[in-house]
Amino acid sequence: MLAYSLPSDISPSTYVNAASLVRIVALGLISAAAISSRLFAVINFESIIHEFDPWFNYRATKVLASEGFYEFWNWFDPTAWYPLGRVVGGTIYPGLMATSGVIYNLLHALNLPVDIRNICVLLAPGFSALTAWATYMFTKEMKDESAGLLAAAFIGIVPGYISRSVAGSYDNEAIAIFLLMFTFFAWIKALKTGSALFGTVAALFYFYMVAAWGGYAFITNMIPLHAFVLLLMGRYTSRLYVAYCSWYAIGTLSSMQVPFVGFQPVRTSEHMAALGIFGLLQIVAFAQLIRSHVSSKQFQDLLFVSVISAAGLGMAAMVLLTYKGWIAPWTGRFYSLWDTGYAKKYIPIIASVSEHQPTAWPSFFMDLHMLTFLFPFGVLALFRQLRDEHVFVIIYAVMGTYFAGVMVRLMLTLTPCVCVASAVGLSQLIDTFVDPREPDVEQEKEGGDAAPSKQAAKKEKNAAPITGVGAIDDIVSTLSGASSPEKDKSGKTKAGIFGLDTRMVVLFNTAAMLLFFVLHCTWVTSNAYSSPSVVLASTNPDGSQHIIDDFREAYYWLRMNTKEDAVVMSWWDYGYQIAGMADRVTLVDNNTWNNSTRLTAGCAAHIATVGKAMSSPEEIAYPILRKHDVNYVLVIFGGLIGYSGDDINKFLWMVRIAQGVWPDEIQEPNYFTPQGEYRVDDQASKAMRESLMYKMSYYRFAELFGGGQVMDRVRQQQLPKQSPTLDYLDEAFTSENWIVRIYQVKKEDSLGRDLKSANGFAQGKKRKRSKPPVKRRALA
Amino acid sequence: MLLPWLALLCLSLHVLAAKDSAREQLVQLASKNNGVVRLDEKTYDLLTSPDRDWSAAVHLTALDKRRRCNPCREFDPSWNAVAKAWSTVPRSERDNHFFATLDFDEAPTVFQKLGLASAPVVYVYPAAEGPRRPASGKLAPYKYDFSHGFDAEPLASELSRHTPVPIPYKAPVDWAKWGTFAVILVSGIITLRFISPVLQSRWTWAIGTILTSLVMQSGYMFTRIRGMPYTAGNGQWIAPGFQNQYGQETQVVAMIYGLLAISFLMLTVVAPLQKSPQRQRMQIYLWTAVNLIIFSVLVSLFRTKNRGYPFKLFL
Repeated sequence: MLAYSLPSDISPSTYVNAASLVRIVALGLISAAAISSRLFAVINFESIIHEFDPWFNYRATKVLASEGFYEFWNWFDPTAWYPLGRVVGGTIYPGLMATSGVIYNLLHALNLPVDIRNICVLLAPGFSALTAWATYMFTKEMKDESAGLLAAAFIGIVPGYISRSVAGSYDNEAIAIFLLMFTFFAWIKALKTGSALFGTVAALFYFYMVAAWGGYAFITNMIPLHAFVLLLMGRYTSRLYVAYCSWYAIGTLSSMQVPFVGFQPVRTSEHMAALGIFGLLQIVAFAQLIRSHVSSKQFQDLLFVSVISAAGLGMAAMVLLTYKGWIAPWTGRFYSLWDTGYAKKYIPIIASVSEHQPTAWPSFFMDLHMLTFLFPFGVLALFRQLRDEHVFVIIYAVMGTYFAGVMVRLMLTLTPCVCVASAVGLSQLIDTFVDPREPDVEQEKEGGDAAPSKQAAKKEKNAAPITGVGAIDDIVSTLSGASSPEKDKSGKTKAGIFGLDTRMVVLFNTAAMLLFFVLHCTWVTSNAYSSPSVVLASTNPDGSQHIIDDFREAYYWLRMNTKEDAVVMSWWDYGYQIAGMADRVTLVDNNTWNNSTRLTAGCAAHIATVGKAMSSPEEIAYPILRKHDVNYVLVIFGGLIGYSGDDINKFLWMVRIAQGVWPDEIQEPNYFTPQGEYRVDDQASKAMRESLMYKMSYYRFAELFGGGQVMDRVRQQQLPKQSPTLDYLDEAFTSENWIVRIYQVKKEDSLGRDLKSANGFAQGKKRKRSKPPVKRRALA
Repeated sequence: MLLPWLALLCLSLHVLAAKDSAREQLVQLASKNNGVVRLDEKTYDLLTSPDRDWSAAVHLTALDKRRRCNPCREFDPSWNAVAKAWSTVPRSERDNHFFATLDFDEAPTVFQKLGLASAPVVYVYPAAEGPRRPASGKLAPYKYDFSHGFDAEPLASELSRHTPVPIPYKAPVDWAKWGTFAVILVSGIITLRFISPVLQSRWTWAIGTILTSLVMQSGYMFTRIRGMPYTAGNGQWIAPGFQNQYGQETQVVAMIYGLLAISFLMLTVVAPLQKSPQRQRMQIYLWTAVNLIIFSVLVSLFRTKNRGYPFKLFL
């Protein structure tokens, strides 16, 4: 019984060939869609590096491309963290830069003179096509090719992944998700086939991942967890043993070659699970070997007990080593995933980053759309079969959703898993409703049951040529890759869909949903995730786009008008941009929280120094500025055009971080009004009004309004008509929309007066007798 | 000749004696009340007298029910626990620092004098004389910052910077928690024999996994970490703003996701098993309709959170 007829005079090999051609074309189209949907940023703005961290990666890549790999490896950057400097080669994950360096050299060897910037800008879209392919391979192992294609299409355009991989967002994640998926694919393949070759491939890609992204710890813990759960389920096989051991041994040794990782794989708690499972597998393998040679029941019991106790001893040894300090405990960044209050209490720098905040449900829906509810259904579909590789996706689903709930940033690691599981579920739905076979109604019919019983026998040997109605059954099962399990022993189709209208309704609904998904992804990508945040856009009243280019204007000014070794102080968000675009020396940069494990003490003090300078009155800040040779201070001010990510809004974090080091001098409550409000208007607290940050932000702001009401458009507050005055700094530059303001630090007065009274003298004010001038001290 | 000297001596002795007696008085008051001096207007002046050579931490609060100060009642046990921990310090150090509580209803004038309009507030008065006078000469009281919440732990560590020796505060063992944990563990082990088929069933784990993923995707961790209320005070259950949500939203959204997943499950797994074509057709139409309608509800809910969202389905 068929719901609709298929041409039956075509040989099965034609079907197979046509299907594989369609698959290749589909994958090509998916790659094209993945790449082109990431180009909104380039089309709307221009080919430019985005945001903050990518600027450092870009700068490092330029060094790599122009100076060569060895120079890059030993690169010491004296212009960052002035006056400390930074050993760049040993404190970064070089995978990203090395990748673009290789591509650059390759293209130049082929006489294609491509600019390094364009390679950096387009690296992430290019790798997203590879990610789609890796996801296809991975999902193919879970179900079949059609599910793989769906998964590839999902990950190609899902906003959760696009958010980190638009053109220009030249960050580690750009290549890391491809490496993640491919490592997982190789692991699953190794596990299924028990091949040491695929285990080694997994290890090599793991090494690449370690070299590319700090998130490699996710793989380091996912694979052992998978192996452990399989052990608990009693699914130990020698395939598992071979796959895991080849991955662990080669992967760990090679990961230790990355200087930034070094001996961490044997010294820190994040890596201990992998080591522990490695040991456990040896014990279990040994026990299996013994058991296969010994039959006595008592001996087996003894063996069981000894395996358990050996595992227990191993655990105890690890705990002891951790306790003794031989193994470093979990670092703050990882620990804060489990104890969610930890970061806020002890590492405010980490808590201050907006992408470390917990995720509310609209973010999930925005990033995943209909995958949010296809995903649980897909997981359930995996539970129905529960092969070894399905366990992997299930564990990934639990861990991934938890992590994504705790930190917005980790939505990225959840996304591939959601795509895979949703694709498995949806492809099962489509399989069920596309399948032309109809089940037999209660009474058996004559024509219907002869053919299927024949096919049941034929299914064993697929090679035989088939004719007639039976061919369709075979073709369907070749195409869908899965034989329909709901057949009873006599081979009669028991489950299935009746009629054509039911099929049409469900398929139409599915197609409409997929269409909606595409529309949603396109809208989100073009509206939310394609802003370079270096260049801002607004809409004119007539609907045309207005580009706000203050950042580059100001950085260019710095580049052209200041001395080459001038030191620029700003809050750490802008450190990489100043170094990358203005090429000037910075005090602090975005490296702070990236590598908080290594540089904590020095950097925390350094960054707190900047925080203190920004939140103190001028007289206190001035010696700090002079001691650090600061020539210019840069602040971001959005009050004029309503740019909400400005420094006044970040100001409380500066206060908080400074308070952590100087609790006696800087106190957060002082910056609030007595009613506990954060205000900048005439009710602002004294500490607020006198802070350097406030003064620099609002200096001469009132003059813009010519005596009218002075309005801060970000905080919607009215400022006093009298703008603050500055004695120790000079306004050097203010960009078109006042977003970037640069101040020059004055030199000491040549007559030895303090600058305040010198200023007063210049303005013709009489010095107050009551307050003797502070004697100038030599500044060391 | 000698008389003025004597007088002077007497006077200074007298002053010393007065100071000592004040200290004695405070020590007595403290020991009477578990290490916390219960203040009124007079004793407040005594405690914060300008020639004090002791330091003091004063907790200004309003515990009376009529004042309806919930934070006060929440913070009070932590304060008393820290003060009690201080009373275990050896006498020689202990008497150089006092913990005191001042209730609004017992001394409203002190609140007026300090210009306080809210409670609870903790002030730490450094010693104004003697060896423990701060080197900076700043005698203004330090105000404790409640940004770490009302727990005793951060309070103790913060106040320890102002006491002669660190406060030996240790969080009490939460016997109730451990007890419940132990009971659950033991009963779990005992019933393991009987529930092991349940634990070994894959569907137990499937339900667990799916509930976890539904709940997490509905922003449960957000409400937990941020301590969001179940609904707003005025009964509104949708929090305004894109990166914001209330507890009830988690439940509603998780239920919507769950229903949609069930509709797919019904279509894919349950409907094909149906033997009668008519019933199957009804089932398929029903669940497709459910899928469509619930999805449009979800989209309209998302539109209320994200005003700029341009798409809509039916609703």
